[in-house]
Amino acid sequence: MIQTRALLEAREEAGSALSLRLRAPDLAAQLVPGQAVLIQTGWGYDPFLRRTFHPIAIDSESFAIRLAVDGDRGRAWLRLAQPGAELDCLGPVGKGFILPSRARRILCLGGGDAAWTLLPLVQRAAALGHAVTLATDALSKRQTIPAAMLPISVEYHIATIDGSAGRKGALSALLPELLPWADAVIAAADMDFYRQLGRAIEAARVLPPKGYAQALYQMNFLCGTGACQACAVDIAGGRRRVCLRGPVFDLVDILR
Amino acid sequence: MINLAPHNKLGLIIDSPLIAGSGAAGYGAAWPPGLHAEDFGLIITAPISATPRKGKAQPRLAEIPAGFLLETGDHNPGLRRVLASHVKTWRKLKTPVALSLVGGEPGDRAWMAAHLEDVEDVIAGVELPIPETVNLGEAGALIAAVRRVTPLPILARLPLTRAAYLAKTCVVAGADALIVGAPPPAAYPVDGDWVEAPLGGPIVLPFTLRALRQLRDMSLDAPVIAAGGVQTLDDALLCLELGAMAVQIRSLAWRDPAAAHRLALNIRSFMDAEDN
Ligand code: FES
Repeated sequence: MIQTRALLEAREEAGSALSLRLRAPDLAAQLVPGQAVLIQTGWGYDPFLRRTFHPIAIDSESFAIRLAVDGDRGRAWLRLAQPGAELDCLGPVGKGFILPSRARRILCLGGGDAAWTLLPLVQRAAALGHAVTLATDALSKRQTIPAAMLPISVEYHIATIDGSAGRKGALSALLPELLPWADAVIAAADMDFYRQLGRAIEAARVLPPKGYAQALYQMNFLCGTGACQACAVDIAGGRRRVCLRGPVFDLVDILR
Repeated sequence: MINLAPHNKLGLIIDSPLIAGSGAAGYGAAWPPGLHAEDFGLIITAPISATPRKGKAQPRLAEIPAGFLLETGDHNPGLRRVLASHVKTWRKLKTPVALSLVGGEPGDRAWMAAHLEDVEDVIAGVELPIPETVNLGEAGALIAAVRRVTPLPILARLPLTRAAYLAKTCVVAGADALIVGAPPPAAYPVDGDWVEAPLGGPIVLPFTLRALRQLRDMSLDAPVIAAGGVQTLDDALLCLELGAMAVQIRSLAWRDPAAAHRLALNIRSFMDAEDN
């Protein structure tokens, strides 16, 4: 983990939100999809806590974060930052997704805003020749990931709650048709979805083998180094610090 | 060099007035990037109890203006496992380490202190957080019970809002130094639940300064350590001016390790300049 100042290179609309591209070669070179970056917001001591982001794009020199519109003061401050600004970043935090080398068909499942954090993994998997299917859900078409952001080889399924794009309904409705195809599953969503995913895997495969599905556990980190104990949750059979053990876990451990 | 336990024959000599306190680096191994044990004169561990504690379920953290509330419920693996996994690390560190012993059952802390006999050569002292609600008799008894079983320097961590009330009793009972201290508890809602915990972050500094001013006028025969809200060299110097012999940081190390490292260098330079 390092602390570095990242240069804000560009602000772009990303769906209904804003994405910031940050140049920080030393940090970007270490980042694995699914890991977190903690960014300081505000000028003084308020807000005091860093904001946690899972990058939505990573290359060798830079990474991008997504700012959805919400009521948070720290993210509101970041939305006002202009190109040329420097942002204090701590990262990478924790363990990211591990591309299952022996799996040929990878199913990536993204629930709501968290779906965007799968993009760096989708890019890498496709570039390495895996067959990748991405399935996401969103409230409406405006929040979905534009197909143009995906590698051409990726099969893309969408569900929207209002039916404005793809299948009407939630991501879980897509599982029965997609799961039997997959050798491995990578997910970024909430706990409700993970429980549904666990049940669907069981239904499709008799037993969900360990190592079959990885899932991102999203939460805000304080220190990111294991010192403060703020991130301890009941997971993997004990109360563990997500910044050390995660934030990417085996789905079996998240559900246990 | 500063002696934080001048009346204890073991003494507690630190080479910098900056202390990594209240588990800023966990048990002395969870260092944020760019920050090292050598940046500090003393490391005080995260809380250690006699038996393992699972701590509090989520939510544990709430952000408040200029600070946060963090309620871990003293989550820790218990004395035995802490010693088994960390004594080797402490032995290698050039910076002295004090263990923060938290109570549960009456007598727990004395039991733990007595069990440190085998590692007394590795440990520089024990910190005893004094609970917010104790009266003078209870505070004195708590310190005295530990004093009876260990020669190690005792650092009594006093609640900031009751430091003046408790200070003299703790010194008489055997505390070698006083840490001021433990910030006042507060509550804040998070996601439909509540976090109830001591304040953390820069918002605490005025409470620390008030306690230091009160203790300065009491002519106590024990060094005072300032703890709570220190973020900058100016904050640290203010505490030293008010009579503190050392200054503890925690949230600064978590939020901005680079700034904590700068503070460590600057405070050393300042002390060197003072000495010359
Ligand atoms: S965020 Fe501090 S221990 Fe995980």
